[in-house]
Amino acid sequence: MNVRASIKVCVALGAALCVAAAAAHHAIEAKFDYAKRLSLRGIVTGVDWRNPHAHVFVNVTRDGGAIENWAVELESTVLLRRSGWQHDALKPGDAIEVNGPTARDGSRQVWGERVVATATQRQVYNVVDPGPSVPQAPRPTPRGADGKPLLGVADGSGGYWAYPTSTVLMQAGANVPMNADGILARLADAPRVAPFQPWALGLYRHRQERHLADDPGYLNCKNPGGVRQFQTPYGVQLIQDPGRQRIFVLVGGGNRNYHIIYMDGRSQQGQVQGDDDNPLYYGRGVAHWEGDTLVVSTTGFNEDFWFTNGGLPHTDKLSLVERFSRPDYDTLRYEVTIDDPGAYTKPWSSGWELKWVGGEDLPVYFCQDNRS
Amino acid sequence: MRRLLLKFAAASLLAGLAAAGSAQEGHPLKGSWLGEWTGNSVHGDNILLILDWDGKAITGMINPGTDNMALTKASLEPNGWVVHLEAEGKDKDGSAVRYVIEGKIENLELPNRSINGTWSSNKGRGKFTASRQ
Repeated sequence: MNVRASIKVCVALGAALCVAAAAAHHAIEAKFDYAKRLSLRGIVTGVDWRNPHAHVFVNVTRDGGAIENWAVELESTVLLRRSGWQHDALKPGDAIEVNGPTARDGSRQVWGERVVATATQRQVYNVVDPGPSVPQAPRPTPRGADGKPLLGVADGSGGYWAYPTSTVLMQAGANVPMNADGILARLADAPRVAPFQPWALGLYRHRQERHLADDPGYLNCKNPGGVRQFQTPYGVQLIQDPGRQRIFVLVGGGNRNYHIIYMDGRSQQGQVQGDDDNPLYYGRGVAHWEGDTLVVSTTGFNEDFWFTNGGLPHTDKLSLVERFSRPDYDTLRYEVTIDDPGAYTKPWSSGWELKWVGGEDLPVYFCQDNRS
Repeated sequence: MRRLLLKFAAASLLAGLAAAGSAQEGHPLKGSWLGEWTGNSVHGDNILLILDWDGKAITGMINPGTDNMALTKASLEPNGWVVHLEAEGKDKDGSAVRYVIEGKIENLELPNRSINGTWSSNKGRGKFTASRQ
């Protein structure tokens, strides 16, 4: 095979891997097996800087001279940018060393847990995002003309809520070890996560055993309804419209859409063109103030999505009571009570906090459907 | 005629379901299932099964619109995803036909998961298979 032919083969292999890799939107552990780790050295052939995960393509020369093309998968470009990285931190021709878990399906893909530029011995594309800096002295809660806390932008400079202190859901006090995607450290802990009905526990275990590979939020870009919209790393924006007595919730993760919480005293029924029976991804939310806490009651969810990271099941009997408070300028406290007699034996609660990211709009991130 | 009606009902249901979208991440049995109970000389080989979950019990109907056999007993055992269904219908002479369907859910994680197993009645027995639509 001459040089030109070799180049064509490499380009073709790279393009094929690129197509396969670009369609990979997933929890990391769903695709990569941390029990099968790999170290490799190679020469960068390209950097694919786009949703949902960035990739570096590498030619690895094996003993005997054979060249293998590998795809090194990285975090999303949003998270990489937050950590200060641009697409050109590596260029074609650079030598790199990569460590990380390999793809469960045996393809030549590795999660770039640690990527080091050989020439400088400098680690690149690592996510070291500390989040927004928080003033030492808490800033006071901003308030509107009615004296109630403003849950969104207070000074016109932009901003949104992100960096949740928890990205997983479990009943208060459970303290079950799991990773940020909600994959349990020990499957035996599953019954402690929530008061499951037997079928719901079985389904939760099944999803866990499959490393959440069937998550429709990733596979089909199903909406992050329920509590999940407040677990996404890409944030959420709350826009209060007192004149129209409603709050717009703009979701930065998932498929980047919005829904409305009504505060005009309307019923939870019939909010969508009078169609009382049409269940929705975000349900029907109505809200009122209790002191400085906004209490949102939501029913009418459909069953087409996962309502939280980690694969806890729900049914169309799910109702949520969410309590939002802003104890200081930079903190949103989120508390939720989950009542789903279709999947759980009793109501249960959880909660976490989100941090204010001031002066910015929601990052641009779009889910990509893996199955179409 | 019965088979024609059943096929029409099934086709209409499928068209509606296709338009509505059929993802379902809740109770694994909830939904519409289309399949065959092979060798059923009384009610034909084709079966349409509508199942629901009210939080405490599985309810449902076999061949709605034609045979209208309500489930009299239904269970799902998560350990192995074992399905047990019972229903009672009538043959063309009006005699009772008591059905028992036993099977397992396969491809649990997929919207078009299936139930595979057997059916039996006081009139016969055979293979049962149905896929969620």
